[in-house]
Amino acid sequence: MAKTPDDGHLELLQGTLDMLVLRILQWGPQHGHGIGQAIRMQSDDLLKVETGSLYPALHRLVKRGWLKGEWGVSQANQRAKFYRLTPEGKKQLVREETRWRQLVNAIGRVMKPAAAPGSEE
Amino acid sequence: MEILSWLKRRRPGELDEEDFKDEIRAHLAIAAEEKMADGADNKAAHYAALKEFGNVTLTTEAARSIWTPRWLEALRDLVSDVRYAIRALARNWAFSLTVIGVLTLGIGLNATVFTMLKGLALTPLAGVDGSARLRVLFGQTSTGRVVRVSYPDYQYIRDHDRAFSGLMGSGLFVVNLGRGRSARQLSGELVTGNYFQVLGVRAARGRTLLPSDEIAPGRHPVLVISDALWRRDFSADPNIVGKTVEINNYPMTIVGVADSTFHGTIVSYDVEVFIPVTMAEQIGLGAPATNVLSDRRIGLLFPQGHARPGTSLASAAAQVDAIWSALSLDRPLNAPAQRLRVTPFWQAPSGGQTYVVPTLAVLSGMGLLVLAIACANIAGLVLVRGVSRRGEIAVRLALGATRKRIVRLLIVENLVLAVPGAILGVVLARRGIPVFIEYAEWLATPQRLFFNISVDSLVIGFTALVGCGSALIFGFVPALQSSRVDLVSVINQDASPRGASRGRLRGGLVVGQVAISLLLLVGAGLVSRSLDAARRANPGFDPNQVTSLEVDVNLNAYDEARGRVFYRKLLDAARAGAGVEAATLAAYAPLGFLDTRVQRVAIQAYEPRRGEDLSFLSNTIGSGYFRTLGINLIAGRPIEDRDDESGAPAMVVNNTLAQRFWGGAANALGKRVRVLDGEWRTVIGVAADVKYSRINEAPRPYFYLPFLQSYRPNMILHTRGQAPVDRLVDQARASVTALDGDLPILYARPMSEQIGGAFIFLNLMATMLLLFGTAGMALAALGTYGLVSYTVKQSTHEIGIRMALGASGLSVVREFLGRGLWLGAVGSVLGIVTALGVTRLMGSVLFGVSATDATTFARALVLVLGGVMLATLVPAWRAARTNPLSALRHQ
Repeated sequence: MAKTPDDGHLELLQGTLDMLVLRILQWGPQHGHGIGQAIRMQSDDLLKVETGSLYPALHRLVKRGWLKGEWGVSQANQRAKFYRLTPEGKKQLVREETRWRQLVNAIGRVMKPAAAPGSEE
Repeated sequence: MEILSWLKRRRPGELDEEDFKDEIRAHLAIAAEEKMADGADNKAAHYAALKEFGNVTLTTEAARSIWTPRWLEALRDLVSDVRYAIRALARNWAFSLTVIGVLTLGIGLNATVFTMLKGLALTPLAGVDGSARLRVLFGQTSTGRVVRVSYPDYQYIRDHDRAFSGLMGSGLFVVNLGRGRSARQLSGELVTGNYFQVLGVRAARGRTLLPSDEIAPGRHPVLVISDALWRRDFSADPNIVGKTVEINNYPMTIVGVADSTFHGTIVSYDVEVFIPVTMAEQIGLGAPATNVLSDRRIGLLFPQGHARPGTSLASAAAQVDAIWSALSLDRPLNAPAQRLRVTPFWQAPSGGQTYVVPTLAVLSGMGLLVLAIACANIAGLVLVRGVSRRGEIAVRLALGATRKRIVRLLIVENLVLAVPGAILGVVLARRGIPVFIEYAEWLATPQRLFFNISVDSLVIGFTALVGCGSALIFGFVPALQSSRVDLVSVINQDASPRGASRGRLRGGLVVGQVAISLLLLVGAGLVSRSLDAARRANPGFDPNQVTSLEVDVNLNAYDEARGRVFYRKLLDAARAGAGVEAATLAAYAPLGFLDTRVQRVAIQAYEPRRGEDLSFLSNTIGSGYFRTLGINLIAGRPIEDRDDESGAPAMVVNNTLAQRFWGGAANALGKRVRVLDGEWRTVIGVAADVKYSRINEAPRPYFYLPFLQSYRPNMILHTRGQAPVDRLVDQARASVTALDGDLPILYARPMSEQIGGAFIFLNLMATMLLLFGTAGMALAALGTYGLVSYTVKQSTHEIGIRMALGASGLSVVREFLGRGLWLGAVGSVLGIVTALGVTRLMGSVLFGVSATDATTFARALVLVLGGVMLATLVPAWRAARTNPLSALRHQ
């Protein structure tokens, strides 16, 4: 089941979804749909997360103890399960960010002689 | 099912399903709300939210898999696959039960046969380490007759041999233990002093026999008994060592009890006493006035031993050959043994292996063929089921199931068939082996048999594994094919025949099944015709209305004078019995399965060629023998009471012997023959040939000696009469008891029952082959039916079009019949060619029928083609009756 980028969406790099979720939750608890929307909006509609990947990712992070899920009520007065970062999750986010920056840096160096990063077909 | 409930209970640390459902519901609600806020109506908003969310089941499954340990997940999948498979197969119960049944038979038979083969080949002797590596030496005459080695020759070989790390000798004898009421006849081995050392068998009590027991002839009255005898006859007496018992009425001292696992070195015999060879004369072996220990013409032992490390069988044989040549030069003797051969133990010509191995070989061949058919059937089943479920498989793939998962499901279905088959097969083998052994033991009574064949879990497990494994492998290829479904074409409902490769596989399966079932049927046919021929064959005597009762007056310590009186009175009493027409005495009964006494003869005015074997089977008989057994006398007169000690030495020969030496029965009368070193006897009569040992033996020379001129303490009383044979048996018993209530009767039974042993292997083989032939045939027909009817189903569309275009039902039927018969014909040709090559190997078990018997082949062919035709005709006929419109609409 290969996912093909369509209507201008980019495919998420392997292993980056967990980091994005942690990052979104830095601003406070959010429910699954909200996290998906936030990733989409903050990436200017370039990144679109499938629920089929999002929910397993959320559960994976809960299982590792980086998130905690609790039922609550949204501003629109809707019942939903809200996820928030645990202290462990915050530390993990820092680790992932550092690693990400190193990765981008390294890849950037390799790609420098060619075109600008992030525009390969 | 405990596992299931355990799995259900195992919840902690897993995905909370209800909670997750709630979470998704909330997600959808929020998303729908947003859409409505953007102006969509309620219904459209919910629909759009659902569509955006994607596959709920897959997402749930993915979330679930985060929480569930992988092995648990796999186990759950497996359980659900198994349940699904069981449901699916239960719907097809007739087919499923057949496959399970055949696997059961196949695995059960194979396990039984391999257990026995393993017992014989790998551990022929219980309680002897490395008995498979034991080598046996035996002499062979120019005619191929096997002879034992004389004691002096054994000593010479032992002293000159360098190939073996030790060479012992042993020979089987029947010995009497004790006297009077409690006396019994046992199998005993006459052994050399190093017997136990060479075998590495220890004494559980006391000591074993030692080389020091073999020094002076007649001076070592000691013996070792088996553990079973110790427990049975001596109530496990802890002070057994040092006790004196009578062996053939000679007092001997028990010096030890052998290890409980040890049963002697004669396969299928339970040997219970071990006596030093140096005591042979004292226990009455060998004719009077001969010296069994120094006469090189008297075969006494089979030398046996382990080859030295690094000595191959061939080099051991070469060395023994060299010793034998040196011995022949050194001390020339016109001995019957032309050469000395060396062979692995399981091929030795002396024990039970001689008759068991060929039978087992044929049976194991059958077993493998049946297993092959079962496998082909399973392959066909998977193929047909897989393809007829293309729709289902396509839907599963569309829902996101992986191909791996589909293949696994199909394989699990095979397993659901294979596992019960394997379990039942193992049960069958576990039950069957003891039953088989008991049956053999019953037939052999009064002789005690011992087979070193235990129900071997290793062999049974291995066979079951092979059975299951082959079922799996055969099911795997078609499963793989079935999973390769082209989604688009299936969803477009294009179900027209596709893929030449699948057609070829299908055709191959039909051809294979037809060929194998033909092979099985030919085998079954040949053996059943053999059995028929054997039953109809004239054994040369009439066993009906005849009784056999054996006694040995030595068991009550009669001397010759008392014995003669006893037998005279016994005959008188038997003949006076109500309804008795004739009675006689004989040393051996015909059709006894094993060869009995062989005696060397000299024939007056006949100069034997160098190395010519002049030793023939013989019997010792009383007056009235030929009349009692219904054997025709061709010339002269039978043995009568006047042929006693005071009469001229007389003998009767059989027709084959008369033809061989004098060119005819009439010429034989008056000719003179000497038995061993006895006096010259005159031939007084010529009797018709009889099947002396086996029903399928070739005619062979035979002679009869008068009981009154060559007394033996051990005789069989035969009576014939018109009274019910069971009453005759009781009468015979009563007449012995009336004469001496303390004399044990070794056995008493109708002769027809006694000679059953001659038929047992033919019978067993025929039953097995028929069973398997029929099962294989049924299975092949079923398999063919399944495959053909599947083809027809696939072609419904095509048939519809054809019939709509005006084709007649008959032409449709004809076409399918043609296709089926073509495959059947190819399979038959293959089967016949194979059968022609293979049945030749069955020569040893066939009787009165050629291995290429045309009738058998024709019958098998008709059966197989008939089966194929039926399997084709039914589905084809059904197809032809299809309404073209409904066929087209169905698509």
